[in-house]
Amino acid sequence: MAPHSCEAATVRVLCPKLLLSGNQPGALQWLIGSPFFPPFTVVSTFRCIHQSPDLDQESADDLRKLLPKGFEVIGGLIVGDSDAEKSALEAVRAARRLRKIISEGGELDDEKIVGASVDAGTGAIHFFISKTEKLAKLEPVASVVYEEDKSGKYLWENGCLLHCELPIKLPFYFPASSPSESKKMFSEAVDAVITQFKEPNVVYIAETLNKASGDVPKPVVLRGKDFGFGADASNINRLPAAEDQVSDIISCSHLCLNSKPAAVVNSAENADKIQISLMLNRSEKSPTSGAPVAEYFPAMEEARLIVVDLNLDVLTYAPKELPLMHAVSNLVIPALVDQLYSLTKIILPHLLMEHPQLRIYHFNPPGVLHPITTIYELNYGETEMKQVDVRKSLHMRLGLPLDRPLLRTANALDLSVNDDSRSNTKKRGSIQLKEVHIGIPSSGVSEGVASVIQGSYEYYHYLQDSFDDSGWGCAYRSLQTIISWFRLQHYTSVSVPSHREIQQTLVEIGDKDPSFVGSREWIGAIELSFVLDKLLGVSCKIMNFRSGSELPEKCRELALHFETQGTPIMIGNLQDSMYFKSIRGGVLAYTLLGVDYDEGSGDCAFLILDPHYTGGEDHKKIVNGGWCGWKKAIDSKGKSFFLHNKFYNLLLPQRPNMV
Amino acid sequence: MFDVLKQQDVYTCRHKNSVSECEIFLHQTMVKAVVGEEARLTSAEDRLSRSAIPAEVGLVIGKLSSVLDRGFVFDLIPTPSNDAGEPACSVLETRDDKKKPSKSKSQSSESSSLSIDSDWVAEHARQVSRMLLGGVKVVGIYVWASDSAFKNSTMILCQAIKAVSDAIRHLDPALDEALLIHICYSPRRWNCRTCLLNSSITSSSLRPCDFKLGRVLSSLQRFKCNYSFNFRLPIYSKGESSRQTFTEILRQELAVHEKELKSANAMIDGYLVHNDEPCNTEGEHEIELLFPFMKDIRAEATKNVTGILHFGGSIHSYAYLNVKEPVSQAVTDIKADITRSLQSRLDIICDEAEQDLNPTDVGDDEELRY
Repeated sequence: MAPHSCEAATVRVLCPKLLLSGNQPGALQWLIGSPFFPPFTVVSTFRCIHQSPDLDQESADDLRKLLPKGFEVIGGLIVGDSDAEKSALEAVRAARRLRKIISEGGELDDEKIVGASVDAGTGAIHFFISKTEKLAKLEPVASVVYEEDKSGKYLWENGCLLHCELPIKLPFYFPASSPSESKKMFSEAVDAVITQFKEPNVVYIAETLNKASGDVPKPVVLRGKDFGFGADASNINRLPAAEDQVSDIISCSHLCLNSKPAAVVNSAENADKIQISLMLNRSEKSPTSGAPVAEYFPAMEEARLIVVDLNLDVLTYAPKELPLMHAVSNLVIPALVDQLYSLTKIILPHLLMEHPQLRIYHFNPPGVLHPITTIYELNYGETEMKQVDVRKSLHMRLGLPLDRPLLRTANALDLSVNDDSRSNTKKRGSIQLKEVHIGIPSSGVSEGVASVIQGSYEYYHYLQDSFDDSGWGCAYRSLQTIISWFRLQHYTSVSVPSHREIQQTLVEIGDKDPSFVGSREWIGAIELSFVLDKLLGVSCKIMNFRSGSELPEKCRELALHFETQGTPIMIGNLQDSMYFKSIRGGVLAYTLLGVDYDEGSGDCAFLILDPHYTGGEDHKKIVNGGWCGWKKAIDSKGKSFFLHNKFYNLLLPQRPNMV
Repeated sequence: MFDVLKQQDVYTCRHKNSVSECEIFLHQTMVKAVVGEEARLTSAEDRLSRSAIPAEVGLVIGKLSSVLDRGFVFDLIPTPSNDAGEPACSVLETRDDKKKPSKSKSQSSESSSLSIDSDWVAEHARQVSRMLLGGVKVVGIYVWASDSAFKNSTMILCQAIKAVSDAIRHLDPALDEALLIHICYSPRRWNCRTCLLNSSITSSSLRPCDFKLGRVLSSLQRFKCNYSFNFRLPIYSKGESSRQTFTEILRQELAVHEKELKSANAMIDGYLVHNDEPCNTEGEHEIELLFPFMKDIRAEATKNVTGILHFGGSIHSYAYLNVKEPVSQAVTDIKADITRSLQSRLDIICDEAEQDLNPTDVGDDEELRY
């Protein structure tokens, strides 16, 4: 394990962004590491939300639930003044207290803790090491290494995820005349479950969680009687000492797929995953065996039966060389126990009423190297204010932006064993290409600053899904591309609507007559905004131009849109000059994905995604044919892309400010 | 299982010429060939020929494998005389007097026929099937009779098969065919027919099949399973559910248990049953049954209860499998054996209880040794 000389301690920082909050003095963050990594390796950092007096809640309610087993708090970071060591000491003390609460009174005085302080003025970060709790003096560190570029690889090449889903239906009884007993009886029933985890007749089955079919290793069966539970299960976070390892014990790597090219293993999503299932072995020798007997036990007084659903679902991180048995006994079981207590705590106040519908989700939000686990209460859906607040608080803790949903149920990691959900989406005709503009030739604006859409989208164009909309469906396709962006950014789980569904929506809101459904009528920017509002609740800004020549003048405004909103824009080109009659219907539509603008010269280009493409899903063909590419406002031949004698309107969908 | 059946249907069709036959075979698969254990069956034949009795009926013990398309006969068990001391099967001489049973072998003539006490044979089957191990079943009946007596008695034989299958069906709901073995004494030969167990069994339900003697018992593999269970059944207060007797509750529980058992995962010799390959290793194999962790299916939502019925104990179960059968069959047979053991025990206790007292009502503080 770790070398015990602290003289040349090196702090390694793997996470890309260390400072989550601004330079707010006193702001505290936890530094997260892993007992399986070299000491002082910072994997991620969480913001402390319940400061000093509420550390109990901080640990019990939040960190224990959030942080998968296999990771732990290894220190604190605080925004302080110029006396870096004094501030860092404050962070160290907080981190020590938190660790104590989480470990529930374990002897942790001699553990080395990382303390860091951020100079509120300069933003410089200083690291220190605290050797023991008694010493008020901190040791400086020799060096700090930032290794965010290979961090994902480091985590997932050496480690894997163990996933265990365990739906429990737990009945318990209490005297009907004294409901106050119920909480005690329920807690006892929960404790009985925990005892059961370590019974000799429990079987843990570990198998490779593999999406692709092919050769997978045989499942490994671990029996409760072989674990030697009860010996020392208290020190759960530590690797077992070398001497109690049995050489022939199977390690996690046995179930990891080695054939996978290492390059792709850089996030929790494509990491090696092992599924652990708990079963009860009724064929294990039972001390009380005898011929089957049925015996009636009357209750002393009438009793009430309540059945509580506890759907446990834990994710833990283990290095691949860790023996499976240790991973189960030291990571998976403690995680199950912790989660069981967490769920119990939430259910207890509602025990005699309708139980909250608790669902557990695992996420791998951008910028956080490891997965996190959340418990959501979904009685009233996830858009309920209480749930929004829960997500907001989580966004803050993880330093995630507050204007986009990253922790909704649709963002959750998919750890299901069967792959039905994916094959279903594939059934729906052709698969659209994503982010076609990646890798296209540059715009040719020499000093330009390019502003493009944020995030992913799907390219919808003519004739897809064997549906002939050539000549009339371009605005529908543009709308589909826009909706795909909202889907892929997880603002909605609404599926991308077909032409007919779009028409149906317009009829439903009363904008069109029923005969519109199934017709080949064109739609324009206004119709698109109605559909976006109706289906997604997204509002839009519309910009009107009397002539194509006005467009380049608005480049700065469009650049701002891509920087702040980042959504695809629909450009409508009115074919007839009936501008004043109607700005609706009858447009040729394009999708605008970005602008490249040189403020000095005024030179600009537009990144156009053209829905009129009728070919197959061939990226090369699309780019070479100019169906996705930069269009100069005035090309080298002096031709304008936006025609001066045409009207244009632009539909700018506004990114919903929500989490 | 379903896939396997379907495959076989196709296979059967391809090898049949007539369309009508094909249609019949689409519904049910029948074994095409039956192998009898040479040692046991030869000794049975010797016993019969030495005994010089004109007719005998009894149970065929064995196994019908739809996967292998084969039947195996392990042994024959003669049905004893009934409570009145009369043999279960006798020959009727139609020429003289229908009521007068013929005792002599030489008296058999063209018009003789068999008289079988079907109810008695069925009761015999019921009691024997309770005692059999997993993968070993009552698969039909045999008769020792002259050719002419057999030919003249198709209806009575069909009735006997029907009575037997009805008596054992509650232990084997999937039962859909039975064997009828005729041991003919003049000329001496064995004939085997399979009988489709439709709602009405007629002579057209009987189909001849290949029958030969061979080594059957030595090719059996033995599977062992210890099974311990421990259930707590809530007994709901009056008004929460309809008043039931102890027996009814236990019968209900056995149905729940059977369902639970069927979906249980299994390990053989420590390995999860993964694919359907035959088990190649020698010796006795141990099956372990795995169940979902604490997913109580017996307790329903919030209700008032007056007490708990504790139902638990251990069962040692065995199943026998032909080496060529897939191992999943052993698991199915073991599970069926556990269910059958529990059911048979309850049957036996209820049989006895009915004789002395009415079934115990719920609410009485009484123990039912089971």
